[in-house]
Amino acid sequence: MLWIISSLVFILLRIAPGDPVDAILGTRANEFARESLRIKLGLDKPLINQYIEYLNQLIHGNLGISLNTQEPVKVIISKALPASLELAIFSILIASLVGYLIGFLGAVKPESKIDFSGRIFGIGTYALPPFWAAMLIQIIFAVLLGWLPIGGRLPPGAIPPPPITGFLLLDSILDKNVEIIFSSIQHLILPSVTLGILLSGIFSRALRLNLEEVLKKDYIEAAKSRGINNSRVLVKHALPNTLLPILTITGLTVSSLVGGALLIEITFSWPGIALGLQEAINQRDYPVVQGIVVVISSLVVMISVCIDIAIAYIDPRVSY
Amino acid sequence: MLKLNYIKNILKVSSILLILLQLSCSQYKKRENIIVASAGKIESLDPAQANTLRTLQILSALGDTLYKINKEGNLSPSLAKDLPKVSKNGLLIDIPLKENISFHDGSIFNAEAMAFSLNRFRKIGTLNYLLNDKIEDIEVKGKFLLRIKLKQPSSSLASLLTSVNLTPVSPDSYSNYKDSFNNKKFIGTGPYFLESFNSSQQIIKPFKNYWGEKPLNKGINFINYSNSSTLFGAIKTKEVDVLISNSIDDLQRLTLNNMAKKDQLKSGEGDPIEIGFITFKSNKLPLENKVVRKALSYTIDRELISQKVSFGTREPLRSIVPTQLHKKEFKPWPKYNPNTARSLLKTEGYCGKEILSIPLTFRSNVPADKLLALTWRDQIKRDLSDCLEITLNGIESTTVYKQLSEGAFEAVILDWTGAYPDPEAYLTPLLSCNKLNNNSCLKGEAVFSGSFWGDKKLQELLEKSEELEGENRLNNLIKVEKLAAQGGAYLPIWLVNPKAWSLKDISQPEFSKDGLIILKNLERD
Repeated sequence: MLWIISSLVFILLRIAPGDPVDAILGTRANEFARESLRIKLGLDKPLINQYIEYLNQLIHGNLGISLNTQEPVKVIISKALPASLELAIFSILIASLVGYLIGFLGAVKPESKIDFSGRIFGIGTYALPPFWAAMLIQIIFAVLLGWLPIGGRLPPGAIPPPPITGFLLLDSILDKNVEIIFSSIQHLILPSVTLGILLSGIFSRALRLNLEEVLKKDYIEAAKSRGINNSRVLVKHALPNTLLPILTITGLTVSSLVGGALLIEITFSWPGIALGLQEAINQRDYPVVQGIVVVISSLVVMISVCIDIAIAYIDPRVSY
Repeated sequence: MLKLNYIKNILKVSSILLILLQLSCSQYKKRENIIVASAGKIESLDPAQANTLRTLQILSALGDTLYKINKEGNLSPSLAKDLPKVSKNGLLIDIPLKENISFHDGSIFNAEAMAFSLNRFRKIGTLNYLLNDKIEDIEVKGKFLLRIKLKQPSSSLASLLTSVNLTPVSPDSYSNYKDSFNNKKFIGTGPYFLESFNSSQQIIKPFKNYWGEKPLNKGINFINYSNSSTLFGAIKTKEVDVLISNSIDDLQRLTLNNMAKKDQLKSGEGDPIEIGFITFKSNKLPLENKVVRKALSYTIDRELISQKVSFGTREPLRSIVPTQLHKKEFKPWPKYNPNTARSLLKTEGYCGKEILSIPLTFRSNVPADKLLALTWRDQIKRDLSDCLEITLNGIESTTVYKQLSEGAFEAVILDWTGAYPDPEAYLTPLLSCNKLNNNSCLKGEAVFSGSFWGDKKLQELLEKSEELEGENRLNNLIKVEKLAAQGGAYLPIWLVNPKAWSLKDISQPEFSKDGLIILKNLERD
């Protein structure tokens, strides 16, 4: 699978119009300068040779060197990926908390005001364009109210803690730097809450629908008729049986966030992997694009495998 | 009761957290350094690789150039002791250098160091063709005397030496980087030294042993945000002290200007250095026809477009060289006149039954381009719908640049900023042609610019200007531009001024002649 993806990315990048030499030199460079750079970057070699070299490097865990900055792609990814993962983790936490709570309340009291509001919330957040919602939240909470910073991971001038894990919050905790801990939390709130709220709609609707269905099952009726109280029926009997589809949806969402949330990262100037990928595509920086896609694909595969294992562990009917 | 206490406890904890968060935020408001924000990352601080305005901006504070363009628009020595001395045959240029100047690493600046930097740029510089096309060799004639041997006389070389790309670097610190870029460090002679660098923030501090006027501030934090709205919000919330206009949307630019008028911000403006224009591909019908191109040059209502697209912040332009570089009023392109356009098109058989259709390409990732294209199309529909129609085609800029020289676009909206403040830096990149077939350019800059238009007389004048100096040279370049206007392969639209806004407790931003903000003059009250 990874071989197919990496090969596809390699081919598509070469087919796409645009040239890294143009991106670096501009269009005015003379032919000699262009050819010199092409040789220096190894773009003069036949495509098949470039491909074999790329695969050989990839097998040996070498993602290559950025055409634009001459920095190893590994280093570029190791800087940007933790920022995206940090945002993804907090967003998923918020989305789960908000979404599942709303979905649960709606399922427990169907057709009530809570249920109705929850459904509107679910549809509304799902339908909202992310960039618009992000800009609106930015304007209200950062510009008008001034409660939270407008973007970035740290305030201008703040010295980040030594990168141990790459996760700013974790690194600042390890560094015992209280100022940076609070600053990083402040900077994380707007993007993660925005993304979390936008994702919570899917979660709330998924939980509500599944729980509602489970609550109509015979075994739930049977449990109730045995005199088990409602809370226990919900927690012990209904919820575990809704867990499988919920786990799958959460897993898919996590997978989609591993590659970064481009519009949120752009709006909040969050230096994550999606922003890096967008910049690399604009500059036709082939090794960086290839490297990021391969790493993201690997992570998505890993997460999918983990979820499959978790499902097999939870559901005795599933076996491998 | 228990539930109420529980809610109260949650509220208490939340309040404490909120107060702590606000306290941690306010600590950063008491800042010593001035925070300057703009869009776009800086990936490399190597002057040999710098090609974005943002990178040139910071390099201009970290390094010095041999010459600068003064307020009167004339060349003045900076690291050089005097103006360049040109030999009688125009092939040798001697540049005496100032003494007692040191690099940030303590090593001495001299002719060896300057030659090292220029040769390094010639070898690995991404824009090295600018020098290599003109320079034969660089010699060290004395400890503080540099000699440049030219391939042919070049009066524009002195202006080229004002380019930030040619700022000298310390040979000691760059001994391992003779053939490669040193992306994350910079050791130059400038008023600031680099304290820290990462792609989203660069911190520079005043260099104590600086030879010239010392900075008025205690340091600059140069930060970037990825979009215009965040930049705009950052200055409104006072998160940053100074905002540079390079990527601010026109509507937000207008709001900031209004805030400056209401005394809520200070603003500074530099001489315009960026021109916006439309290129017509002149080697294929219908635009191969000079009369059609001439007719098109009458069709654009620049004032209307400037108002609709930029609320009047972009100055309408009727030349392909920024006005101030001519040193006198000169507008060779015709004014908007739909009647003249109609009669010209009629002579070529258009209007009535046959309508001329021009596909106009714009860069889809440049908002102003799209608005310009839409406005021009609608203006044509309003004024000349019986003769002309414009169809629009949005393409991402990297693809546009790649396909420009392949002749993919009949008409395309572009912009250009000269590498140095001189008319030649605008005329040569658009008009120069090395191989001509009648008025069709087969090889040269006109191919790269997508017009494929050339003119033998124009080329001769362009080459002759390299041998001329002063007023004669400027007059010669004016003749070049007149011929370009008659050719009609380009349609200038507007000029863009570099602009910056600062908070009220910061001094008004000032610009150098090359459109860069003078960071050392920024001061906190």
